[in-house]
Amino acid sequence: MPYHEFECSKVIPERKEHAVDKEPGEDLTSCLPKGYLNTIPGSISERGCAYCGAKHVIGTPMKDVLHVSHGPVGCTYDTWQTKRYISDADNFQLKYTFATDVKEKHIVFGAEKMLKENIHQAFDAFPEIKRMTIYQTCATALIGDDIGAIADEVMEERPDVDIFVCNSPGFAGPSQSGGHHKINIAWVNQKVGTFEPEITSDYVINYVGEYNIQGDQEVMQDFFRRMGIQVLSTFTGNGTYDELRGMHRAHLNVLECARSAEYICNELRVRYGIPRLDIDGFGFEALGNSLRKIGLFFGIEDRAQAIIDEETAKWKPQLDWYKERLQGKRVCLWPGGSKLWHWAHAIEAEMGVKVVSLYTKFGHQGDMEKGIARCSEGTLAIDDPNELESLEAMELLKPHVIFTGKRPGEVAKKVGVPYLNAHAYHNGPYKGFEGWVRFARDIYNAIYSPIHQLSELDISKDEIPGNHGFVTRRMLSDADLSDEIRNAPHLSEYDGKFDCLAALKDKTYPEFPRRVAAAE
Amino acid sequence: MMTCDVKAKDRIGTINPIFTCQPAGAQYASIGIKDCIGIVHGGQGCVMFVRLLISQHLKESFEIASSSVHEDGAVFGALDRVETAVDVLLMRYPHVKVIPIITTCSTEVIGDDIDGVITKLEEELLAVKYPDREVHLIPIHTPSFVGSMVSGYDVAVRDFVKAFAAKSEPNGKINLITGWVNPGDVTALKHLLAEMEIDATVLFEIEAFDSPLMPDKSAVSHGDTTIADLIDTANATATVALNRYEGAKAAQFLEKKFKVPAVIGPTPIGIRNTDTFLKSLQTLTGKPIPQSLVRERGIAIDAITDVAHMFLADKKVAIFGNPDLVIGLAEFCLDLEMKPVLLLLGDDNAGYAEDPRIKALQDNVSHEMEIITNADLWDLEDRIKNKGLELDLILGHSKGRFVSIDTGVPMVRVGFPTFDRAGLFRHPVVGYAGATWLVEQIANTLFTDMEYKKNKEWLLNVW
Amino acid sequence: MDDLTQDRIGQLIDYIMKNCLWQFHSRAWDRTRQNENIVGMTTKILCGEPVEAETPFDKCYWVDAVCLADAYRARHPWLTEMNADGIKTLMTGLLERLEYLTVTGSLNAELTDQHY
Repeated sequence: MPYHEFECSKVIPERKEHAVDKEPGEDLTSCLPKGYLNTIPGSISERGCAYCGAKHVIGTPMKDVLHVSHGPVGCTYDTWQTKRYISDADNFQLKYTFATDVKEKHIVFGAEKMLKENIHQAFDAFPEIKRMTIYQTCATALIGDDIGAIADEVMEERPDVDIFVCNSPGFAGPSQSGGHHKINIAWVNQKVGTFEPEITSDYVINYVGEYNIQGDQEVMQDFFRRMGIQVLSTFTGNGTYDELRGMHRAHLNVLECARSAEYICNELRVRYGIPRLDIDGFGFEALGNSLRKIGLFFGIEDRAQAIIDEETAKWKPQLDWYKERLQGKRVCLWPGGSKLWHWAHAIEAEMGVKVVSLYTKFGHQGDMEKGIARCSEGTLAIDDPNELESLEAMELLKPHVIFTGKRPGEVAKKVGVPYLNAHAYHNGPYKGFEGWVRFARDIYNAIYSPIHQLSELDISKDEIPGNHGFVTRRMLSDADLSDEIRNAPHLSEYDGKFDCLAALKDKTYPEFPRRVAAAE
Repeated sequence: MMTCDVKAKDRIGTINPIFTCQPAGAQYASIGIKDCIGIVHGGQGCVMFVRLLISQHLKESFEIASSSVHEDGAVFGALDRVETAVDVLLMRYPHVKVIPIITTCSTEVIGDDIDGVITKLEEELLAVKYPDREVHLIPIHTPSFVGSMVSGYDVAVRDFVKAFAAKSEPNGKINLITGWVNPGDVTALKHLLAEMEIDATVLFEIEAFDSPLMPDKSAVSHGDTTIADLIDTANATATVALNRYEGAKAAQFLEKKFKVPAVIGPTPIGIRNTDTFLKSLQTLTGKPIPQSLVRERGIAIDAITDVAHMFLADKKVAIFGNPDLVIGLAEFCLDLEMKPVLLLLGDDNAGYAEDPRIKALQDNVSHEMEIITNADLWDLEDRIKNKGLELDLILGHSKGRFVSIDTGVPMVRVGFPTFDRAGLFRHPVVGYAGATWLVEQIANTLFTDMEYKKNKEWLLNVW
Repeated sequence: MDDLTQDRIGQLIDYIMKNCLWQFHSRAWDRTRQNENIVGMTTKILCGEPVEAETPFDKCYWVDAVCLADAYRARHPWLTEMNADGIKTLMTGLLERLEYLTVTGSLNAELTDQHY
């Protein structure tokens, strides 16, 4: 096994099996780090907890719901307003969060009574909202509150409300991924099949493992609507509670982030006979193939092809403009989970960069299999990296840019590596054809920032290059390009709007006649 | 005389909290100490999110570790995780000397004896494996179901001082306990002390969190309060704790144990509170207030005079955040002729109603005013949207951004966190410089709002 | 297996690894099911044989098979010159290799977990 031993982690030898170099000739049977094991205490890992995996990652993107955390106020506060999962419900899910505010007396005497009062008060404060999710936290798990029983009581007292309970305390698993699993299984057990949705198309999908970061879901939903496909539910970005109760009526589960949501697709396959189709919403080729597969499934591949042709014609020249300028740029692809495989090959093939390292904060070995399968030779793959390892890797690999979270991005900043937010994006959406160009644009803007160039200059001893009052990105990125590429008439910079979703708001879609009467 | 009620929030739960929990306060305190990496004993989220929160605010990173309690630990006890965490941290961070062990709700509920495990670690791990290394393990009990991040900060400052303070020779210094402030505040406070030629120990020295991006890539953000500083707090002439709820416990400890006189408050926000602060420094040290500060004060008053009675008078303000900050801002607003009509104080501290500053507001304010304790942001939003509260301005932190955005009441970001505005951590709200900055922020925010809403925007054609 | 076949299987596997996700379901039984069905249907398509895809599950394998077959034809001109027997032998080798990489030789410790 081509393990990569970090100098800084030699004193914790069990870390050795968590990083590998994908060397020539290696394949998945010889090159895979361990994954999803208990974190080494004190290693300063980047992992979060199972509560956040359930509530913060998967639960909260549901847009028409009061999201209540049963515990002290901190869990709620800390997981509030740190993500960019927007919705078309005026971002209700971003704006409001509820904590039962458990205090010492409740720890001693029980917090069920106050939980019930809390639920009523929350519904009273927002009379138009009739749906609620409740998340257990470490404290209320340990005192053994029966949240489900309280929820049942309230649902009896208020027949017009529906409540989902997720028992996923922070300690339930090595990382946030434990919470992804718990909420998937809890939702399919408690809620799927309890609501009969209206079927409006012959082609009905659940769009699963998609969280509408900066509008990704809305971009993909636009494609589906153009194809006449009904997105019955989205699990969970921009999704509604009742649509997600009706997941059992879809014909196909279209799965994006298998890491966080494959469990529910597997259960829906076994319990309701709905097939699972894994797709990539990122990258022209992968996205095109994904749309085509969905079209083929329903026998409407011509509609998919029309979209692919139109979007490719419009955006490929802009993508290629960036590809020419990003050739060979070294990238550390350091996201949380799924992006390591969504992006690994696509950015190399379509943007010309070289992925020199990938890591996963909370992923499993299955994610690393996909990531290592997709990256090229010479890549350093790390499971559950810690602060010192990240620094050592950056020193070793000298990346031009890293894609990671906000705080690790600050670490990179200090060692002169610009970062893009892999979780929340810089200026997304990044899904869709235009989104992919926006991603390339953001990478370009990071790498060729004139200020980045200045940051490397020591004014006490270095010469000032040239005699410029300014330098533009183009002066930097085009310096070594051939005239042919620099002036290529068919290539152009991104020319979309700051908010590319605005155009989708009032868009009308073609009406496709139904093949069968709406008898479902 | 109009009424000024002090009452607790009338709902049991929290909708959009103003505060996070105790361990976050202990973590914010810990990053102010040099060669210190805290270990938060609990689930990983208790660290990951707090680091993210502070990082969003400061636009910097720094280290805090977790004991990573998983399911087995929650069931059978997780002290072994603390033991491993301390060893791993010491092995990999050779500079680390101070390791606070910060508890959370989970490890307090399961009753992990961190004091006991520290004794064990001192006798075994430290004695055997690190005999020549200076290491201090400090238990900090911050269950999340008690108090808030404010009390967590207060407890942590006291516990750090308690762990180190040792009597030797009087050092002639002032201990200055800043409370939960920004790097810019520390700069402003140190400036005032320097002008008065007062030697002080600052708890905590977080000025360096406004840190550079250096060409040699060497810059790391960390606190600068040293172990020697903490030891020497017992030998000071006096302790000035600027905030009653964030640091006063440490001042009281030093007074009781080492007879170091404690002066609690005032939070030096605004001219008047800064005056009082300087006068108490003068009383404690005998040092005169120099002409340079008379001039600086004059600059602030000049700036305020430019805007106060023309633009700020009678503007209705709601203020939320850490209690000392809110009270200080309310007092300053009154000097600016504004009307603080609603103060939202975070946690369920029963002492707020007895705070003399609040009593003074109750006795003297001549407009309708409400003070809510154990408050949340719904107490603000509900009053604006559903109960007819009219406001011209909100003063508060970024977690309240949607209240401002959705109600159209402009908001000046102040306090912690202020992640949705650039660079605010760099600017002080304390001292004369802070007063100038605040009043101009307030005025410019109102001006922008007038223009955006076309509400007498022509007023500024001549000024 | 001769070098040429091995090399061609390598090329075909490389495409699957870099571009597909269907071979990476989370449990061994699902991987084998996916591999057999999708590679099986791809083989038929490449050989010009009819594919029955009536059930939703079969349809789902089939869409992956269609896209894989198209990609193979577009990328590997030598495929169009092979006869059906040759293709079947090649694809049998491919399935074996894929099963090895993703199931029997896989280092993923979660593959045999009995639950999702």
